[in-house]
Amino acid sequence: MKLSRSPSVAPLLAAFAALVPVQAEAHILKGEAVGFVSGFLHPISGADHVIAMVAVGLWGAQLGQPAIWLLPVTFPLIMAVGGFLGLVGFPLPGSEIAIALSGVCLGAAVLLELRPPLWVAAALVGMFGLFHGYAHGSELPPGQNALLYSLGFVMATGLLHATGIAIGTVHRWPWGRIVLRGAGGVVLSGGLMFLWSALT
Amino acid sequence: MRAFLAACLFAWLGFSAAPVCAHEVRPAYLEIDQTGQATYRVIWKLPTMGDMAIHLVPHLSNGWLEQPPADQFVAPGFLVRRWDIRTTPSASLSGQTVAIEGLADTMTDVFVRVRLPRGQQTDAVIRPEQPYFRIDLANGRALGLPTFLLLGIEHILTGPDHLLFVLGLLLIVRDRWSLIKTISAFTLAHSITLAAATFGAIQLPTAMLNASIALSILFLAPEVVRAQRGGTSYTIRHPWVVAFAFGLLHGMGFASGLASLGLERSALLGALVLFNVGVELGQLAFIVLVLALLRSFRLMELRWPRPIAQSPVYVIGILGAYWTFQYGALTFGIGA
Amino acid sequence: MKGRLTALVVTALVLPQAAEAHLVVSGMGPLYDGISHFGLSPEDFLPVIAFGLFAGLCGKAQARWSLLAFVPSWIAGGVAAMAGVALAPMSISIVTAAIFLIVGGLLALNRALPPAWSAGVAALLGALRGLADLSGIAASAAHGLALAGMALGGFVLFALAVSITLPLQRLWMIVAARVGGSWLAALGLLLVGWVVRYGPVIH
Repeated sequence: MKLSRSPSVAPLLAAFAALVPVQAEAHILKGEAVGFVSGFLHPISGADHVIAMVAVGLWGAQLGQPAIWLLPVTFPLIMAVGGFLGLVGFPLPGSEIAIALSGVCLGAAVLLELRPPLWVAAALVGMFGLFHGYAHGSELPPGQNALLYSLGFVMATGLLHATGIAIGTVHRWPWGRIVLRGAGGVVLSGGLMFLWSALT
Repeated sequence: MRAFLAACLFAWLGFSAAPVCAHEVRPAYLEIDQTGQATYRVIWKLPTMGDMAIHLVPHLSNGWLEQPPADQFVAPGFLVRRWDIRTTPSASLSGQTVAIEGLADTMTDVFVRVRLPRGQQTDAVIRPEQPYFRIDLANGRALGLPTFLLLGIEHILTGPDHLLFVLGLLLIVRDRWSLIKTISAFTLAHSITLAAATFGAIQLPTAMLNASIALSILFLAPEVVRAQRGGTSYTIRHPWVVAFAFGLLHGMGFASGLASLGLERSALLGALVLFNVGVELGQLAFIVLVLALLRSFRLMELRWPRPIAQSPVYVIGILGAYWTFQYGALTFGIGA
Repeated sequence: MKGRLTALVVTALVLPQAAEAHLVVSGMGPLYDGISHFGLSPEDFLPVIAFGLFAGLCGKAQARWSLLAFVPSWIAGGVAAMAGVALAPMSISIVTAAIFLIVGGLLALNRALPPAWSAGVAALLGALRGLADLSGIAASAAHGLALAGMALGGFVLFALAVSITLPLQRLWMIVAARVGGSWLAALGLLLVGWVVRYGPVIH
């Protein structure tokens, strides 16, 4: 069978074309798309979350293998654990401060190009992830389509990591490393600002 | 390997074909024209096949259509009814509801066009899921061109006859170059006749056209079997010639989905182009899907048992033969 | 013609409750309603795609057996549901979340299972999904057609997902697939929390 050595996007396209029929969306997505969109917007609407998520990606890119893929695989899970705790109402005090602190710490790590042992980095990122997830989880509004809202939420978080990692690819060039450290500085100052407003 | 087209396609085509005797998705058409200050003309075109018509009855909530029509006649492929309404100048169409009795039981759409003297116009498509439409002249807008794109996609994806023919072609072609040539020839040919038939340059009676299309499917089945057994023939060596020749017929079939809309010539060209693009998109999606599935089977070294592997060809052959007899009989007025 | 009309009348009659039970209405007949089901219901297409990606990462034999195990068990689950073995919304929500966790976790971990095991998980996934999808829907002619369409949609989606990961060699693409699995598991975890707090999430 010689034909059809199609690139691997073809199956995706085909799946899409085949499974999304012509006028279906009008019937099914009424109101449900709203759930997805609001879930998607939630993680990216708070600047304190955004800079921390992007910083995770930046730091992962600086640390290189295996952190660069270990972080995006484990981080969503830890965040979901935090979200779970937030949803069920588990008390976890001081999450506002922890979130602002995460911006400060991750920003500093990227600025100084810190290279702790992998488990230390993972534990640090994981702990902050827990707090971020917790904050989101306790804010999740009832009455949304839970599945689509959560889906949008997880995807937005993952894409913020991916953005950080994509920016982090400049790390291979000497000038890129400086740019990256500069970005760490931006995250650090942002974190400090949020820390200030959380404390006062 | 190409033969391992598998149960899925078999099921798809088999199931979509089985309950659909006719590929009868031609829409009905209702036009309400304000001809004077207090006069209206209503035209209702109901698609027919041979002596059969689906049971669709239009109603207006102000009761205009409950009186007997002023005129009623049979046009090729259609039953046409006309009402001439005299009313008071204060009567307004706005806020009235058009309901189509029987539509919920069909797969057909109804196009509604309301025209007022000052060029004001409202178009709508009524579908079986919601067989009524409230006329709102204040917020009326012309039927968006994308509707025709969707109509084209829908037309090919719900037409097992066209899909079976394309599947047969896919099963015959040997390599990528031949695939491209064959599909391009089919596309070119049906685009030509789609345009020609839409503008009324060519015309075939519906039953005869459907019989010829069925014959093209029947013709392909033995060729696929021959190709799978390693044999050769003119069709197998030059599938694009066959694709072009029969594509001319299939194009006239596509035209049936569009010709009945009663569009004005000025609007027809844009609608035609979009409808055609929609048909090509649907066809392309089908081809990509078939090829991607074949690639997946090849990658996982999935070998179907012989009866399953050959079932698509037999579905093509059996349905081709069935439709040929069915429409052949209609063409000559037998059975019906 | 008569059979088709009957089927359509039946669809029209069951449409209101069918919509509640999350049967998609494509406007193109019950077969396409079924086909589009797997494309428009995240609780179905997410785990099927994820498990297809996982089976593809495991290897050819696993992919093959999983694919062949998935579809019949999905149909069996669906038929059982229509015959009256229905799940309550609460159970459906929990099953959905559990499936997300298990399938997403498998993909994120990317540890190859033996073919028999992966086929077993595929069969379990299929049976549970079939049961959840068609709970609360009584059997009818139109549903038979929709069921066939749904099975077909699931089969195609599974096969296509397999064909994405089966030939993968590059590390970053495998990582991307695993990240997807981790997202799905995270989604499952969030849904569990949601169920605990607000009750059933899938109706």
